[in-house]
Amino acid sequence: MKSAKTDATITMPRSHPKKNSGLLRQMGKRLDLYLMLLLPVTWYLVFHYAPLYGLQIAFKNFNPAKGILGSSWEGFGHFQRFFDSYYFWRLLWNTLSINLFSLLIAFPIPILLALIINEIRNKTFSKWLQNITYIPHFISVVVIVGILNVFLSPHTGPVNLLIEAFGGTPIRFLEEAGWFKTIFISSNIWQNMGWQSIIYIAALSGVNPHLYEAAKMDGASRLRRIWHISLPGIAPVVIILLILDIGHFMNIGFEKILLMQNNLNLESSDVISTFVYTTGILKGEYSYTAAIGLFNSIINLLLLLLVNRIARKTSETSLW
Amino acid sequence: MRKHWGRNMIMMMIASSLMVAGCSSGGTTNESSPEVSKNEVHATGFPIVDQPVNLKMFTRIAPVNGPFKEMPVFQDYEKLSQVKVDFIEAQTDGFQEKKNLLFASNELPDALFRSGISPLEAIRYGSAGQLIPLEGLIDEYAPNLKKLMDQYPEIRSGITTPEGHIYAIPGIVTLSAARTDKKWINQMWLDKLNLEVPETTEELYNVLLAFRDGDPNGNGKQDELPMTARVGLAVVSAMSGSFGLDSQLGYNINIENDKVSVWMGSDQNKEMLMYLNKLYKEKLLDQEIFSHTEAQYLAKQGSGNTGFFFDQTNNNFLSIQDQYTGIAPLEGPQGDRLQSQALPIARDFGAFAITSVNKYPEVTMRWIDYFYSDEGSTLLRFGREGEHYEMKDGIPYYKEDFLKEIANQAKITPYAGGGAPHLISEQVASFINPPQVQEAQQKLDPFMPKVRYAAPMFDEQTAQEVNILRNDIDKYYEEQSTKFIVGAIGFDKWEQFQATLKKMKIEELEKLYQDAYDKMKK
Repeated sequence: MKSAKTDATITMPRSHPKKNSGLLRQMGKRLDLYLMLLLPVTWYLVFHYAPLYGLQIAFKNFNPAKGILGSSWEGFGHFQRFFDSYYFWRLLWNTLSINLFSLLIAFPIPILLALIINEIRNKTFSKWLQNITYIPHFISVVVIVGILNVFLSPHTGPVNLLIEAFGGTPIRFLEEAGWFKTIFISSNIWQNMGWQSIIYIAALSGVNPHLYEAAKMDGASRLRRIWHISLPGIAPVVIILLILDIGHFMNIGFEKILLMQNNLNLESSDVISTFVYTTGILKGEYSYTAAIGLFNSIINLLLLLLVNRIARKTSETSLW
Repeated sequence: MRKHWGRNMIMMMIASSLMVAGCSSGGTTNESSPEVSKNEVHATGFPIVDQPVNLKMFTRIAPVNGPFKEMPVFQDYEKLSQVKVDFIEAQTDGFQEKKNLLFASNELPDALFRSGISPLEAIRYGSAGQLIPLEGLIDEYAPNLKKLMDQYPEIRSGITTPEGHIYAIPGIVTLSAARTDKKWINQMWLDKLNLEVPETTEELYNVLLAFRDGDPNGNGKQDELPMTARVGLAVVSAMSGSFGLDSQLGYNINIENDKVSVWMGSDQNKEMLMYLNKLYKEKLLDQEIFSHTEAQYLAKQGSGNTGFFFDQTNNNFLSIQDQYTGIAPLEGPQGDRLQSQALPIARDFGAFAITSVNKYPEVTMRWIDYFYSDEGSTLLRFGREGEHYEMKDGIPYYKEDFLKEIANQAKITPYAGGGAPHLISEQVASFINPPQVQEAQQKLDPFMPKVRYAAPMFDEQTAQEVNILRNDIDKYYEEQSTKFIVGAIGFDKWEQFQATLKKMKIEELEKLYQDAYDKMKK
């Protein structure tokens, strides 16, 4: 990649004398833009590339006193220990399933919401609906989990009072492994659907209104118009957002899961990222958990490459 | 140009890494032999040094405490010793995390005060060179501590690694009442319902049933809380003695005829969990036992609406203390009757440690040693004579008008909240060991095990093995026990539970503890 680019600069007619002067002169012309670029590039270097250096502790027995370089090599021992661990399959399954279900259920909902808002003719009502749905996004995770605790409490929570009023027995929602994923995902949807729909609404407003007019003339029903005009219109945005979502597939909701976790729902709430936190930071097993974290990231990278590839093959829209 | 870039980069990295490595190794050797101290440190008497010395200490601060620098103990002691301590305070919540990050980033304070370092951590950070060995310093600069260690040899054996090093100093508790949780039962309710003090687990069950249904608080509502405990598996350690389960070597271990057995997969444990499950199912055991916070638990104690619970002392429920009485451990179905929840004399392991960046280890050792004397311990726990306490028959008592506002007490002393490095003896225990608590302790005394072995010190290699095994096993045990108690899994899964423990190599763990025990006996 890189060499191709430099070659291109070489063949550019006016930058003949020195290889770099062309690039430099161009940078000089657009100095303001490059200055603006400086900050994000620095940020990436410092917070995303520099830490890569520390990744080697996954293959070492990290000893803080000796430092990263001074610690002895371990090879793949930490990975082996994780793969052999009793928790391996449970962690992998929980991590994958929570995120997969989130994706399957939570991903389409903002799209639907955007379509609905787009179809509503009454401007006041559609604004109102939009506000109502996106305001929960601004509540912090800690507060959300607090709200869940209050609402789902077996003795005093409104949900259980309602169940009891209808003659049912109270359910300990937050203490049953079977309920964890449902609660986690549905509260996520409640919190985020409005916010995520904003970008789709914006995309929808970019669809050419003449297309709708023409379809109406041809006698297309409202559903047909949504299906044949609105959806194809926002498809590229949908695909890009999907790929971006896959980008942090394995790390979604770490704080929230950690806050909702207890011994009784651990069966289905224990995910790789929370395991890394509890074992690594709280028990000081840095090398072991660095290995687990690396494993997590590798799976994520593979997923990202796969989804991007599929998207490129099937729809011509992809990140790269 | 571009071709060389990569090579240059690698060379630079190598060069800089060598420089970093060189610096760090050079740094430590320099710092361990400071040119100052030695002649300046007075081996006895006060001040410790003529020229004031500044020390940075990392400490845990409990929710009840005020800032350490406002505590009279540290203010007065600074004047006395000429040692000024700057505390880096971390809240109890998240303390473990901050402590680990301190070590991981190698940005160390001079010492750690009330630091709750575990034996495994002490070995890990000690052998890494982040904590310095203290045995030599103790011999020379800690006469009070040394005296205690000579008097109670188990202290020394409990904190010395197989290599002969001491990396952390414990809180020492010679007062036996401070090493157990008493079993407090609501005497007023018993009287009201005409019940006897329960002697067996079966009788306890019936008493709790009566508490639940008999409306002992007389408000006509069924709102009594028959039994509660600290969050998590504290209820297991409180009840395990009735089922013949001891807690030796700081773990779930029974020792019989010099044979160590980890009892988590045993039938007795199954019997205990079934009993607790029965209590939980019938709402005799607090339904919030796995979710309430420490503060909520203390509030339940103070409400007087609880029937049976466990705590070391009664100052959490002072205003209603007369309602409660301490009882003996209950006799289990197999005739076991043991107070298994009891800690060794070196109760708070790793309460204090000195790091490798400390330029004045001798001064630091002398500074901490004071708190292992009666005088220093009194200052730490009671503050200023006349202002906070007064002497009666040679024993300090908080002044009554000072205690009027009960929250005052925890603001002046770092012992409130637990785990401070100092001596807790009869001499300084008037507040936590009033007659009522002594009585409760006397009920427990006949059932205390003869010897209480502290958690063993492993060598570095073994410590790492134990750590790996216990990380998996403890997590599994905790999770499954919780589920057994609340009934989230049935006891038909017991064999599977045992099989999984076996798969997690519980036998290997048992063997490591057996070896450690054998070494200890020699």
